[in-house]
Amino acid sequence: MRKLLVVTAAISLSVTLPSIAQQTATTARIVSAADAFLASLDATQRKSVLYDFNDNEQRARWSNFPTGVVPRGGINFRQMSAPQREAAMKLLATVLSPMGLEKVEQIRQADDDFKANGSKRGPGGRGPNGPPPGNPNGQPPPFPGPGGPGGRGGRGGPGGGDLFGSDLYYISFLGKPSTTSPWMLQFGGHHLALNITIAGSKGVLTPTLTGAQPAAFQMNGKTVRPLGRESDKALALLQSLDEKQRKQAVLNYSVRDLVLGPGQDGKKIAPEGLKASEMNARQQAMLLELIAEWAGILNETSAATRMVEMKADLNETWFAWSGPITGEAGSNITAYYRIQGPHLVIEYAPQNDEPANHVHTIYRDPTNDYGRALTMQ
Amino acid sequence: MKPKSASLIAACILLCANPASAHRIDEYLQATILSLDADRVQASMRLIPGILVSPSVIAGIDGNGDGAFSENEKRAYAQRVLGDLSITIDGISVQPVLVSWSFPEPAQMREGLGEIHIEFTAKLPSGGRDRSLMLANHHLNRTSVYLVNALVPQDRSIQILAQRRNEQQSVYELDYRQAGAVDAGSRVSAWLSAIQFSSLFHLGMRHIAEGTDHLLFLLVLLLPAPLLVSGVRWGAPSGVRPSLLRILSIVTAFTIGHSITLSLAAFNAITVPSRLVEVLIAVSIFVSALHAFRPIFPGKEAWIAAFFGLIHGLAFAATLDRLGLGRWDRVAGILAFNLGIETMQLLVVTAILPSLMLLSRTHVYPLLRIGGAVFAGFASVGWMIQRLFQVETPVDAIVNAFARHALLIAVNLLVVSLVCRLLLTSRTQPTA
Repeated sequence: MRKLLVVTAAISLSVTLPSIAQQTATTARIVSAADAFLASLDATQRKSVLYDFNDNEQRARWSNFPTGVVPRGGINFRQMSAPQREAAMKLLATVLSPMGLEKVEQIRQADDDFKANGSKRGPGGRGPNGPPPGNPNGQPPPFPGPGGPGGRGGRGGPGGGDLFGSDLYYISFLGKPSTTSPWMLQFGGHHLALNITIAGSKGVLTPTLTGAQPAAFQMNGKTVRPLGRESDKALALLQSLDEKQRKQAVLNYSVRDLVLGPGQDGKKIAPEGLKASEMNARQQAMLLELIAEWAGILNETSAATRMVEMKADLNETWFAWSGPITGEAGSNITAYYRIQGPHLVIEYAPQNDEPANHVHTIYRDPTNDYGRALTMQ
Repeated sequence: MKPKSASLIAACILLCANPASAHRIDEYLQATILSLDADRVQASMRLIPGILVSPSVIAGIDGNGDGAFSENEKRAYAQRVLGDLSITIDGISVQPVLVSWSFPEPAQMREGLGEIHIEFTAKLPSGGRDRSLMLANHHLNRTSVYLVNALVPQDRSIQILAQRRNEQQSVYELDYRQAGAVDAGSRVSAWLSAIQFSSLFHLGMRHIAEGTDHLLFLLVLLLPAPLLVSGVRWGAPSGVRPSLLRILSIVTAFTIGHSITLSLAAFNAITVPSRLVEVLIAVSIFVSALHAFRPIFPGKEAWIAAFFGLIHGLAFAATLDRLGLGRWDRVAGILAFNLGIETMQLLVVTAILPSLMLLSRTHVYPLLRIGGAVFAGFASVGWMIQRLFQVETPVDAIVNAFARHALLIAVNLLVVSLVCRLLLTSRTQPTA
């Protein structure tokens, strides 16, 4: 009996210890990359990227809007020197998975493309001159005073544009990077808000917003779709459903935007659609693969932990679709979809100005937005 | 993109030197999240006018056209939005009451950015178990798109059954089940399930069925119950009625006894070391075995049953204590547990009673009575040693072997008693 206990303990330890060790090592790498970035900043810069861990205003200061419209905290790439930018990218590469980093890069590239080419099909059909500049310091007062001279139109004109662009992405910290006590790394700008809470060996990505306009564009002769797999995988899952399943999954009303977008933290709405317990093993695997497009943005160790949770919740996870059910892989869907489980909300919401080319998505854990479940003692 | 006329696009080109990207353009988004309680529904609305509709929305708010939103204008607009809602519960209309509101600056709204926030609440009259809440939003229908959702209710007695909407979500129906409020029966059943009434009831039954020491005590005490005392020995059977009455009084007394201590101990009013309780239970069996052999407290069986019932109750409490129930849940828990014990006890007594009554009228009864007494006596001594000195004895194994076949033994006993009663002459003379 005692032998059995010893053997069991040894086995369970040898299974869990390496993974704990791996997670701890990941956190240590992230903290050292964060410290290196902070060390590269001058005192003023450092002061403006560091917030108190309990600063809930900064915690919730994120949006799908351009940074010139809704200002973010921290400092952006434009305010950094080349070595500082390099250190920031190194930090992102450590926190995120290669896939996550690529997604972030493509979202930023989409912003550059929009700045250069404007919206191709949307109302307004803006030409290359595109959006008007705000004021050049990167943090313009977003709104002119009521009845301000010339109003909106008056500020228009060709130029650099301080509303968009891959250099207008901001980095900020809540709390000091630490391997033991909790802290947050925020990175975001137009169509991007990564809210990463790190508590010891654990990393949490919720809530996170991704989006893109254009959601498909040409770069160096290749088509780039920052959120292309989110579209393709969901469509494939929908098309794998049989008649009866599809009837449950497809909602008979239109959903014109994110229900739980910015500001809607911690809300748990009544789920709808098709329950994953009604899916076959292949469809369930496809659903997990789809969820991994968000969960997998974070580094492998944190993503793996999250996916274990997603797998455990599978029977209580719902998939709902609203909009056209036809489409093909490689071109973006114009339908809305939602994945919801006990610890998950994912929404994919095409925007009505140009649905196939402008999308917002949200990724949440209503029980653990900003890692509250880990950091509240 | 919705079919838009060329003129609209042209208008947009003219109006929007500003980037329309990431902004609503020609829609007024009205997003509502409902939160359902037993007696009311609360709602938070976010109203977001797109660039092209914002001038008309601004004009609608800015009553005096001075370019600013005064407090009165804000409240009036929020009130107007509520006026454009129609809310019914089970077909009966209810009035929304404004709770709070906040507005962006007009300039912000002109950019297609600002969000108007309105919170309201509506009292819901009580109704049946299955209810239907309807929310129809008629505010600026022509330019609006809607989102309506319900939060998962905090109140666990409310269960959302279905949500229905029209295509635009301007009409939303929520079917839900409400246990409680009106239906006292389902509220009680919800409560009972919350405190695990049935599982505690079963635990009580199992406890007495598997707690062979409790049963042995009771059964052995019942062995001489159908008999009269003759000097220092057990004598002829008494009448059916007095026998039944005596058995009933013994079982009732035992129940009263253990109920008292179970309740007291469950509320931590008394604490007795469990080892002592276990030893005393073994002593109680020994005493009842002695009594089955020779009457030592004739006519006072009920008192003895009540007294030892007090001790057995302490042991039941220990079981209940391990479940860690809350204070008021405990009252119901004790009730459930006790009812389980009584039910099982009654089943056992009912199963064994006919055999006792029948056999007690034959010459073989002393065999059962003395055999039972000796068995119980040995078992109790074994338990005493085991519990006092914490050593293993074969008693548990032997008693459990009997207990496992309790039903078979009871049935056999009944058959034997029937046969004996039919074949053997009834005895009227006292025997040893």
